[in-house]
Amino acid sequence: MGKFKITFYPDNKTIEVEKGKTILSAAISAGVYINSSCGGDGVCGRCKVIVKRGQVVSQPSGRIKPEERKQGIYLACLTTIQSDLEVEIPAESRIDMDKLTQDEIDLRLKGLFSESEDVQAQESAGKEIFSHSPLATKLYLELPPPNLEDKISDLERLYRQIQRIREIPIMQTGLSNIRHLGELLRNSDWKVTVTLGKRNETTEIVLIEPGDTSVKNFGLAFDIGTTTISGQLVDLNNKKILGTKATYNKQASFGSDVITRIIYAQQQDGLEKLHHTVIDSMNQIIRELVKENNIDLNNVNCILCAGNTTMVHLLLKVDPTYIRKEPYIATANFVPTTRAAESGIKINPRGLLSCVPGVSSYVGGDITAGVLSCAIEDEEDLCLLIDVGTNGEVVLGSREFLISAAASAGPAFEGSGVACGVRAGRGAIQKVKIAAKTFEVSYDTIGKANPVGICGSGYIDILSGMLETGILDKDGKIKEISSKRIRDGENGREFVIVFKEDTASSSDIVISEVDIENIKRAKAAIYSAAITLVKHMELDFKDIKKIFIAGGFGTYLNIDNAIKIGLLPDLERERFIFVGNSSLAGARQILLSYEAMKRANEIARKMSYFELSTEVKYMDEYMAALFFPHTDLANFPSIKIK
Amino acid sequence: MAQELMLEKWSSAISVVNIGATKEEGGSRSKVIKVGGQATLPFLFPEGSIPNKPVIAFEIWDSAPMDWPDTLKQPFADVLNDPLKWAKKCVDDFKAELLCLKLQGAHPDSGDKKPDDEAELVERILKTVDVPLVILGCGDDAKDNLVLPACSEAAKGECCLIGSAVQDNYKTLVAAVLADGHNIVAESPIDINIAKQLNILISDMGLSVERIVIDPTIGALGYGLEYAYSIMERARLAALSGDKMMACPFICKVGQEAWRAKEAKAKMTEFPAWGPEAERGIAWEAITATALIQSGADILVMRHPAAIEKVNKYIDNLMTNDKIPMSK
Repeated sequence: MGKFKITFYPDNKTIEVEKGKTILSAAISAGVYINSSCGGDGVCGRCKVIVKRGQVVSQPSGRIKPEERKQGIYLACLTTIQSDLEVEIPAESRIDMDKLTQDEIDLRLKGLFSESEDVQAQESAGKEIFSHSPLATKLYLELPPPNLEDKISDLERLYRQIQRIREIPIMQTGLSNIRHLGELLRNSDWKVTVTLGKRNETTEIVLIEPGDTSVKNFGLAFDIGTTTISGQLVDLNNKKILGTKATYNKQASFGSDVITRIIYAQQQDGLEKLHHTVIDSMNQIIRELVKENNIDLNNVNCILCAGNTTMVHLLLKVDPTYIRKEPYIATANFVPTTRAAESGIKINPRGLLSCVPGVSSYVGGDITAGVLSCAIEDEEDLCLLIDVGTNGEVVLGSREFLISAAASAGPAFEGSGVACGVRAGRGAIQKVKIAAKTFEVSYDTIGKANPVGICGSGYIDILSGMLETGILDKDGKIKEISSKRIRDGENGREFVIVFKEDTASSSDIVISEVDIENIKRAKAAIYSAAITLVKHMELDFKDIKKIFIAGGFGTYLNIDNAIKIGLLPDLERERFIFVGNSSLAGARQILLSYEAMKRANEIARKMSYFELSTEVKYMDEYMAALFFPHTDLANFPSIKIK
Repeated sequence: MAQELMLEKWSSAISVVNIGATKEEGGSRSKVIKVGGQATLPFLFPEGSIPNKPVIAFEIWDSAPMDWPDTLKQPFADVLNDPLKWAKKCVDDFKAELLCLKLQGAHPDSGDKKPDDEAELVERILKTVDVPLVILGCGDDAKDNLVLPACSEAAKGECCLIGSAVQDNYKTLVAAVLADGHNIVAESPIDINIAKQLNILISDMGLSVERIVIDPTIGALGYGLEYAYSIMERARLAALSGDKMMACPFICKVGQEAWRAKEAKAKMTEFPAWGPEAERGIAWEAITATALIQSGADILVMRHPAAIEKVNKYIDNLMTNDKIPMSK
């Protein structure tokens, strides 16, 4: 069978593939990013490409309009290669995947709010409550050379010297270290630096180096989200954050939610591909962080990861199949510390990889880390943590108890499953105001770029604005109003946010009734999860003193608008605390303190998991929440939408 | 020792809906039917007032029903083809105090009658009889949006009860009812949340919630009756506890559901053990109705005069005794 050359523009990358492969699969092999929310099933219509030259065979799709087909537009996942090709990937199919700009990362981590809600995402993680005892410690030792009176062996000598400085009861050392030990000690004049790593309950001598390298001890904290991967380089000696980087999780090419990815993992080489994709993204972040800070990769001695249960399985290349099958069991929630190299992470080859323990198959270590960083288990008052994401997790509790639930909210707030939705990246409309009567729209985009689509926070502002100006009824239907922005489209009535002249793509940016329905379901799932959990504990929202809003998306939330659409409970605005990426903050705390690690283990053990899918009342609450702001308006006293 | 009843105190009551307008009120009905107004759960007289009795609306059609069983056709055999005579027979022979005109013939699949013709029919019925009128569309959204506004206009001033508004199609009907001074039936699919959401949407358009009658959708005996019961009970508990958006009377389409049951229409030749179908169908409709009365139904749309007679007796029995009635 023949091989053909495929060239992708504007990347200008060429790859040779066999005849009959899809354009999407060629793009993945070439390292070229094309959106693909459905994982190549041909249903989402996000992978539109323009075939400039060459022969293809394409299955018909309702996602391609006849006039688009005439222009040579195809869905990459349904189109197979029959000759050498030149393929252009239009802007709408390629969100800047490689990197977020520093601005965007700052936004993601610090939070971004409207003038009236100018609240900074609180680094609750900054609280110095845990003693400094990082996952990896370096000790410089000057050993007394042996003589006839002091005849203990080299290894025992090393242990004795360590124990003179630190109270470390149990130690282990790998054979490779012992093999070199005798020569190393003598060649370095008995002056060496040992790297000690915490491996669960024991301490391991990870590495022995000649001379004093103890000032160079670095570690990494990672949050592995379904959508975004964030990494932070930390100086383990002085707890300083040296840099933070984020990139999209390229696993999105295999499906935008964890379930689709678990299904993909079951295909031939599926797990392998998912594993490599996440590791590549992480290594890329690590490389850049290390380069920018001029650090030798060999001085990065450990990495601490927080992620949902599925992400952690894929990171470690552990089959996630049984997470999806009743009774939904993970292979491991408490994963022992392993060597990072075993999973393909490129730091010091003997460096350690540790993962924050998870609670259940659908409440993972990212939530444990979130609870840790918000210090909920130290609070006397009742707290609620809401992680607004594809899998909306909710944790209720205090010093007394912790209970969690996960609701499948769907990816609408992350810009998937909505026609003009994009993830919160460059050009995403993130802040919107709609004028009364004229319905004129003013908006801000991330990076002040030309708009490419709407991200979650933009949708919240839009819905709130549409309700307030009377464009939308409480059921989420667009009213018949004569305006150039309101018209009938393919997906029911739609409201135009940006006309095509002002966009980065070739079509209008709109919100349709179908989109609104999807967002309504997502917000209903999250709100009803929270209220079901609160009622299950025989409590009331009013009893909750602090509500932590987390998630890459959550940092952009306009609280008032989020309450107006019924995503968040209607409480005094002062009770809401933005924590930005609480998962990354928690991971960093654990990286820096063994005490925090022990606390995370306690949290994960202590937290109970409340299964919503079998709870009859959840469905009832969900139906009641499928309204703006809610069927029970008495629960939203501050909202007066006419 | 005298026993003391534990009494529940409710903070609110169901709203009263007036169906029909007399000459003084700008209409031509001989009297007004009032429904609702209860300040307690069904028939718990010691706990609160029950000012209005449940009423039965005789169901008549704009065209001869094809799929009604013989038992049901028999009492109206001579008038099924003539809605005017049918209406008159209900009022004159069976003492109907309320009629429910079902515009089934407007459905594209069963006659596709024109809006103007249906409007004329409404006008003529109002001239033929002087009882208040309930008007129900054919259930095809697009067609109802043409037919019902025409009928609403034709009956302007008569304060009819017109339906049904549903969550995905309520705006046209609400606008018509608002313009012509009628009441509206808000129908939801056995779902208390949707019932309330629809009432909010309707009242957001400016039609007072006091002019809404809820059709909770019911099932006949053996076909989900208990489900309807629990939805109605939950709605009533919410209403009596102060939820204004739920404080509407109920209309229940008893005849339509009861006569769909196999047990109501199957012939004795098919199921000898079930006994004669003439009695069975009537009993099925009557029992469904009485159970729904106990669930809080205010208007019962029924079909067979014999069933209606039984249920009317039952209602009288319940209402004449201001104590909790004993079974006889």
